[in-house]
Amino acid sequence: MFNKFVEPRWLLLTLALLAALLFLPLVAPLFYIYIISVIFVTALLAMSLNLVLGYGGIYQFHHAVFYGVGAYTAALLITQLSLPAWISFPAGPLVAALTGLLIGAFCVRLTKLYFGMLQIALGSLIWIIVYRWYDVTGGDNGIHDIPLPEFLTSIHGAYYFVLIIAAVCVALMYLIIKSPFGATLQAIRDNPQRCEAIGINVQHHQLIAIVIAAFFGGVAGVMFVTVERSVFPGLLFWVLSLEIFVMCLLGGWFTFAGPILGAAIVVALRTVASRYTDYWTTVLGIMLILLIFFLPEGVMGWARERFKPRASAADKRGRELDAAR
Amino acid sequence: MDPSAVASLLLVGLARAMILFIVAAGLTFVLGVLRVPNIAHGSLYMIGAFTAFTIAEVLGKNPAGFWIALVVAPLVVAAVGLIIERGLLSHLYQREHLMLILFTFGIMLILNDMVKFVWGADYRSVTPPEILDGSFTLGDFAIPRYSIFLLILGPLVALGLWLLSNKTRLGKISRAAAVDREMVGVLGINVSWVFAAAFVIGCLLAGLGGALVAPTTSISLGMDHTIIIECFLIVTIGGLGNTWGALIGALLFGVSQSLGLLFLPQYAIVFPYAIVVIVLLLRPRGLLRSVW
Amino acid sequence: MLRVENVGKAFDDFMAVNGARLTVERGALVAVIGPNGAGKTTLFNLITGLYKPDRGKIIFEDKEIGGLAPYEICRRGIARAFQIANIFPRLSVFENVQVAVLARQRKSHNLFQPAQNLARDETDAILDNTGLFPQARRVAGALSHGDQRILEIAIALGSEPRLLILDEPTAGMSPEETAKTMNLVQQLARARGITILFCEHDMDIVFSFAQSIMVMRHGETILQGTPDEVRQNHQVQEAYLGGADA
Repeated sequence: MFNKFVEPRWLLLTLALLAALLFLPLVAPLFYIYIISVIFVTALLAMSLNLVLGYGGIYQFHHAVFYGVGAYTAALLITQLSLPAWISFPAGPLVAALTGLLIGAFCVRLTKLYFGMLQIALGSLIWIIVYRWYDVTGGDNGIHDIPLPEFLTSIHGAYYFVLIIAAVCVALMYLIIKSPFGATLQAIRDNPQRCEAIGINVQHHQLIAIVIAAFFGGVAGVMFVTVERSVFPGLLFWVLSLEIFVMCLLGGWFTFAGPILGAAIVVALRTVASRYTDYWTTVLGIMLILLIFFLPEGVMGWARERFKPRASAADKRGRELDAAR
Repeated sequence: MDPSAVASLLLVGLARAMILFIVAAGLTFVLGVLRVPNIAHGSLYMIGAFTAFTIAEVLGKNPAGFWIALVVAPLVVAAVGLIIERGLLSHLYQREHLMLILFTFGIMLILNDMVKFVWGADYRSVTPPEILDGSFTLGDFAIPRYSIFLLILGPLVALGLWLLSNKTRLGKISRAAAVDREMVGVLGINVSWVFAAAFVIGCLLAGLGGALVAPTTSISLGMDHTIIIECFLIVTIGGLGNTWGALIGALLFGVSQSLGLLFLPQYAIVFPYAIVVIVLLLRPRGLLRSVW
Repeated sequence: MLRVENVGKAFDDFMAVNGARLTVERGALVAVIGPNGAGKTTLFNLITGLYKPDRGKIIFEDKEIGGLAPYEICRRGIARAFQIANIFPRLSVFENVQVAVLARQRKSHNLFQPAQNLARDETDAILDNTGLFPQARRVAGALSHGDQRILEIAIALGSEPRLLILDEPTAGMSPEETAKTMNLVQQLARARGITILFCEHDMDIVFSFAQSIMVMRHGETILQGTPDEVRQNHQVQEAYLGGADA
């Protein structure tokens, strides 16, 4: 990443993976295609959170709000106002970003735990309104059988649509992380005080990061509508925010692809384990605790640590500095 | 508007606020000392409620059943908390802050499944003892006895917590530990045990809240989700770690909800959330000073 | 260039800085000395905007800067290296400096251009000047303590300051590292035309490098003068140097 923008072997691997995913529907059964679409949506959501969490060091405790707002915006524009998809779909991320701007503007005045708690409070207001406003949002029933354009109604159609959008979003996020803004954001994560001292307006950068993350969270919300054709208040419930948090941790939050892996693990686990037991969340809980004890840098972070010992020394120093503050 | 209706709604709100206060006080106490918002706190509260149900069930018609449950259920929850703290959490204090928070989320996932496993997904209820059942009448105004009981108990718990943190050695040490851990460590005090004590006291209060709520509502899976989010909001508007803040927050929350019933019954539940947000927009760090 | 006039700052009841005065001429190397707790670091925090002064004036290049946010003060031309290595541990050495250069060029909002191609020459030049170039690719958190302190200075240089404030630049260094660091500072100051304000415990360093010395005690300025003036001042000898030959 120092000399070349993308290392050739990673580029090759990504292209190979993308090609494999493009051809997958020709061979795989429909159920798997559906599950993989869900993984795409969830992975996009987790990555959007990691933009502010892993790269920004921001205690974004209620990211699901932006996901839910994106999903509900698209769903309501289609069902209540009968607007076509090409207006309703882009509106989702835009309204989510606007929500991010509003919530973020209040939160960035605070740091760490205060930030997180304030965000939970602000996000919960939106959740409870959605949960109660039966006339418009359908309350706790949500909205089902949302009419979508013809080409999205098949599982294959939705799969390809979600795959392409998610791939574009991931590429955009990669660009952002490698941009001067991304570098500055990581510097803020490592040491906000030092950033102020070199002329960076920390709160301003954090706010922009939150808006960007909210935007991509909103995209994920619209993708959810594409795959499931329904919305419900659980999409902006606080427990979901924690689940995405866990996905980032699971995959490794100091790595770019970590959240994708984390999302895949959680979705796969939910699908497989819930077939055998009613208690799949216990499995998730035990995994989470084992992870905290033994692999605090996540799966990808662990892999990187094994193969690049220098990076781990830096992370250790980073943790020490974090603890000292 | 009928004044007696307003008065009785107010009473309901105040009674509800007392339970919210007891649970939130536990949350804020742990938060103040350990700096960890215990996400599993709601689950511990739920375990308290279900345990109270089982005890009352086992003792059947025995009139003392409720009182025994009121004492034993919090102890059971405290024991669960002690096991979690000594067995797992205490090994993580050196870790990053976010890890501790996520750890409590993992505990919440496991505890909720345990409740599902032990008690199932049915709705349960507990009948209050005869002395607390029914209501007094004052003119044409009915006062539920159980509400009066809660209104007496809430301030007693507040007083008890105040005495604990201001008049006992443990309380003083834990307040100091909230502000400056190193200093307490240097003084030769075993900080780890202070944390354990604080965590257990938090669990005790969660269990007490659960046992107290049992006769007022149906007990079911998912009751943890509502209480934990409500307690988080109460703790936030009160000022993180501030017990008196939790009391004010709980009163605001409980009363605004019941008064909301008066104006917009369908949206009553939205009222407290809106109040919380308004308060936080004006004072983002909460009404009272956070302990650290 | 910089004038601090009768500045005061209290924390609760404790007067950390109480009537500090300081003048820094362009191109000079100025030291602040004083016993522990004299308020040196607090004074630096006031100048760089970490704290707001309760009273007094801080004037930089004829403009009042007291109470501005740290990032605004940095943009006016004051950079600071901290007492503890205050770096970005998870970024590479190159990125540590580059972030500062990008911030000065006001490019830190740029979202879609690859950062690696921006500000390269300037960053490389700073790394070269400070001797960190061979380690440019290493992750900063993995550097030795001495190198982290030098990186700390390199980050400050990335802001292209006209005034550079160094808070005990050699604390915790070996004598060789100390000499190396101070020579580096002097050389950088000359080559880049930077004015330097620093505080230091080591009196040998202070008296051999500084052109002007300000002495603080109990948050108050006792005097500011040339090394000779300071050495001969009785008040300073009694209050700080303890009468011993310094």
